[in-house]
Amino acid sequence: MSPRLKISKYVIERLLKTETYETTGCLYGLMYDGTLLVIGFSLEYFENEKKTYSQLLLNLPAEVELCGVVKFCDTTTLDSKPKEILQDVDITDNPLFLIIDKDKEIKAHFLIHEKFEETSYDVFENEDIWKQFLHIRLNTILPLSCEATLFGVKNVLQSKRKKIASGQVSFQINDSTVYLFGIASGVGVTGTSTEANIGDLVDSWNPEQMSKKKKYNINNVEPVSVNLVMKATKDMLSDKLVKTAVKMMTTQRKPAFCISMPLRVDTIAMVHRNTKLSELYSILVEATCRSLKLLESVLIEQLGQEGIGDGAGLRLPETFHYLSPEIGHFITRVVPKGIPDESMEKERIALHEQLDLPLTRPMFRRGNAYIFNSPKLINPHEGIAPQNRGKIATVRGKYLYCHYMQDNFNDDGWGCAYRSMQTIFSWFKYQGYNTLDVPTHKEIQQCLVKIGDKPSSFVGSKQWIGSTEVMFCLDTLIGVQSRIIFANTGSELLTYTPELIHHFQQHGSPIMIGGGVLAHTIIGVEYNEEKNETRYLILDPHYTGADDLQTVLSKGWCGWKTSDFWNKTAHYNLCLPQTKPCV
Amino acid sequence: MVRTVYSPEYCLQYLEQYATKEVYVIGLILGQVTESRENVIHLARTPDEKNDASSEASYASEKPEPLRTLLDISETWVADHAKHVTRMLPGGVFVLGIFITSDEDIFEDPNYFSKVKSVLNYTHKALNSNQYMYGNIPNSNEKLILHMSTSTKVLTCKSIEVDVGSKMSIKPVEWKFLPKPQQWQRLDCYYDFDEVYPVLVKNSGISVKHQFQQILESAHKTIELCVMFIDGELKDASEPLEQVFKKRKIIIKRATDNPKSIQVSLFVPYENTFPETVQYSECDGHIHFSGVVASSIFMYPKATIKEATEAVKQDIIRSLASRFTMHCDALIDDNLLPEEKICFNEPPRRVLVPVGTSYFCDYLFPGEAPAEALVSVKELLDLQITEADVVCDIETPADTSEFDALDRDASSEELLATPQEASQFMYITGICFAMFVLIVSIFIHYYDGIVTCLSNFFSKS
Repeated sequence: MSPRLKISKYVIERLLKTETYETTGCLYGLMYDGTLLVIGFSLEYFENEKKTYSQLLLNLPAEVELCGVVKFCDTTTLDSKPKEILQDVDITDNPLFLIIDKDKEIKAHFLIHEKFEETSYDVFENEDIWKQFLHIRLNTILPLSCEATLFGVKNVLQSKRKKIASGQVSFQINDSTVYLFGIASGVGVTGTSTEANIGDLVDSWNPEQMSKKKKYNINNVEPVSVNLVMKATKDMLSDKLVKTAVKMMTTQRKPAFCISMPLRVDTIAMVHRNTKLSELYSILVEATCRSLKLLESVLIEQLGQEGIGDGAGLRLPETFHYLSPEIGHFITRVVPKGIPDESMEKERIALHEQLDLPLTRPMFRRGNAYIFNSPKLINPHEGIAPQNRGKIATVRGKYLYCHYMQDNFNDDGWGCAYRSMQTIFSWFKYQGYNTLDVPTHKEIQQCLVKIGDKPSSFVGSKQWIGSTEVMFCLDTLIGVQSRIIFANTGSELLTYTPELIHHFQQHGSPIMIGGGVLAHTIIGVEYNEEKNETRYLILDPHYTGADDLQTVLSKGWCGWKTSDFWNKTAHYNLCLPQTKPCV
Repeated sequence: MVRTVYSPEYCLQYLEQYATKEVYVIGLILGQVTESRENVIHLARTPDEKNDASSEASYASEKPEPLRTLLDISETWVADHAKHVTRMLPGGVFVLGIFITSDEDIFEDPNYFSKVKSVLNYTHKALNSNQYMYGNIPNSNEKLILHMSTSTKVLTCKSIEVDVGSKMSIKPVEWKFLPKPQQWQRLDCYYDFDEVYPVLVKNSGISVKHQFQQILESAHKTIELCVMFIDGELKDASEPLEQVFKKRKIIIKRATDNPKSIQVSLFVPYENTFPETVQYSECDGHIHFSGVVASSIFMYPKATIKEATEAVKQDIIRSLASRFTMHCDALIDDNLLPEEKICFNEPPRRVLVPVGTSYFCDYLFPGEAPAEALVSVKELLDLQITEADVVCDIETPADTSEFDALDRDASSEELLATPQEASQFMYITGICFAMFVLIVSIFIHYYDGIVTCLSNFFSKS
């Protein structure tokens, strides 16, 4: 029997946006409960006989596998190369074949007994992905010590993978007493019932969250953390128990260079909440192996390069997880530590092309990485229920809600523009434009003194700054140019509505606005043509309370304001930070 | 509440026998301290000092034998005894103090009492000299003194604090004899080592002692971090062992199971103890440390899981440290290389020897027979056992054929080739040979066909 088919809304939207024609794409998905859920896709160009999709699989969460092919054409015929892809599908006996015709209509087929049979499919809503699926993040450090050669690294990592795959490890869930074992141990799960599933286990730890009717979305993914422990004792019941007493052998050989380093394994698996704990073991083994392969490829690549062939300039691999709303699933990348993002553009362009992403803004730089457990609120405005009253343009990408009293720093009454600038700065950081930390008030003041805008007594003072100072700082610290708009009165602001809409569409960065004694951050504009009304999405830095989303939204610290919000008689200056296209 | 220790009844006969026969005797109290109870397992008389015996013998004819008293005892001799005995103790068992049989009241007579204190202080220090031996009970400096008067056969037990200078406090201790032999909960595991790490041998060579010390340090760090599973399950640290045992009996009952033994396993979580950089070094050799440490510990059944876990960890480290010390003491030359290309160090292996209702251990060097264990058991534990009592199969001696094979390789230059080159060479040779065999076999198989075909071809042309 062929599986039921569901396709995530993310994938549907991405497929319909694809403009290339006569190209082939690979589909990625996972099986749960007799259903095949397609969650991702990539374009395949068949260059250099390389199977780029098999490489990409390593970047996807464990459990997500190749599940089929998509063609942008009108016929159900397949060339030999896409057929090869179908042969690589292991997750189901019936590989999937999607066709998107010229009218952008999606038709799904399963390959059943060598024939394509058309099948119906359901669209899987985005929210359901975050609600029904859990992400498991495994973190561990494996000590690596070997000869600084390609062979040495490959060999030692292969033996590590073998050891992990042979049941010599156990996984500890969330620092609890729940441990998972391999089948060979005969135990499976300890600390809870063998029949338990991961969703219930996680809920049992957070009973409060359940009652609150938590909203699930792409910004509040909280992975279940898992730790790996390695077996250090032998199985006494094994027939093959070798009990040779400890001994030491010393071998002398040709002089060579050796490297040793902590290998940080950081990997993600995506599982349905109903997954049994006993099934989780092999998934986590796969996740670990994917991570080790990524780490290996980064080491191998470096060793192959000239100059660091003997390992002297080798850099530690660093792992980053990305979850962009355009993609809708995690993508994990490993890059050498300390190599600037700018010099790795080629790889990123290839990835953008493979995932059919625009080449106008960075998406896989270090700063773009998903932020786990941020102490400050991220994108609070996304919690506001959508109300469609006109043309809306909002900030694109992540920013931090910076406001009074944060970081144990009392700036009540004078720091609003600084906070607004911090929000802008965080936006540039999280869009990958730079890797600097968000500057403190003092650092902002020091910057202004350095460029001669302010006297040295300004550092440590409680003096206000305005939008021009914000512009200077952005330029000096991260090389961002800004456009300044002056409005003589609050009502004059209304004439700039088209420019603001254009700003959010073109650049997407938050806007700082200063007027009278107040500074605010504008993160969105709505224009209703019928009534000729403009509303502004305001992020208010004057908030002094705790970073609680409910309070922030219900009390209107982040919310839509009508043009009455502005003082009719005050002057206003706006700082509109500009972006440059890059990857 | 007065501290109470429980002792097997044979210890009473043991003391009485010496109190009757000898002027004075000193020895060690060996046992286990747990929250729920303190158990003495064995009393072991400190052997006579050999050197004294031989030198006295030569003078014996001329001088009258000096009147030997307790005050003549050498502190270092007793301390040395304690050190050697500790090697034989499983984890969780310690030298708890000393026993003395004598006529004098050692607690009342200040001369005698200061001698006793001095012996205990020496012993405490000696046992502390190597932290990996776990000579003294961690975080405790109380030692027992058990005295039996040779005249009245009255037993007195007290505890004193050592290593605290003049503020030493003396407390009474109640010593109780158990009519029935103590039951123990046995826990077993095989801790597995398999580590290869690069070293720089060049010029100076490598000190075996130094290597072993490093292995010990890293093993200690790792084992301390380990999580212990009992029968594959993580237990509440405060739960008594017997609870686990009771539950287990109901769940699984395999015919092969020794009801008294529970299998445990240890898992290492890797934590970030490494510097966050790539370390880069030159090396021209490898050290491969491999094999097992068989661990069997015996716990009072009411002891907690936590206590048992600590005992298992102590046992592995103590056993490793004992082997290394014994191995290094027996070494003629500490320097490993550079003369030989391969060097093999095989420390003595562990065997178990029965003591009361539990087991202690001993170590046999390669080539030594189990009978060797009888000697140390007699001398250090003052126990008579037979060869059949020694459990020799918990560990096996290293397979020297493995070493021989490597040695042969080493004599040729092959070993200096990188493994990659060697394997490629093997690979190509293998394929060539396989091709050759294939061609020959095809030829033989189709011989008739080929001949007819060829003849046809030639006749046509």
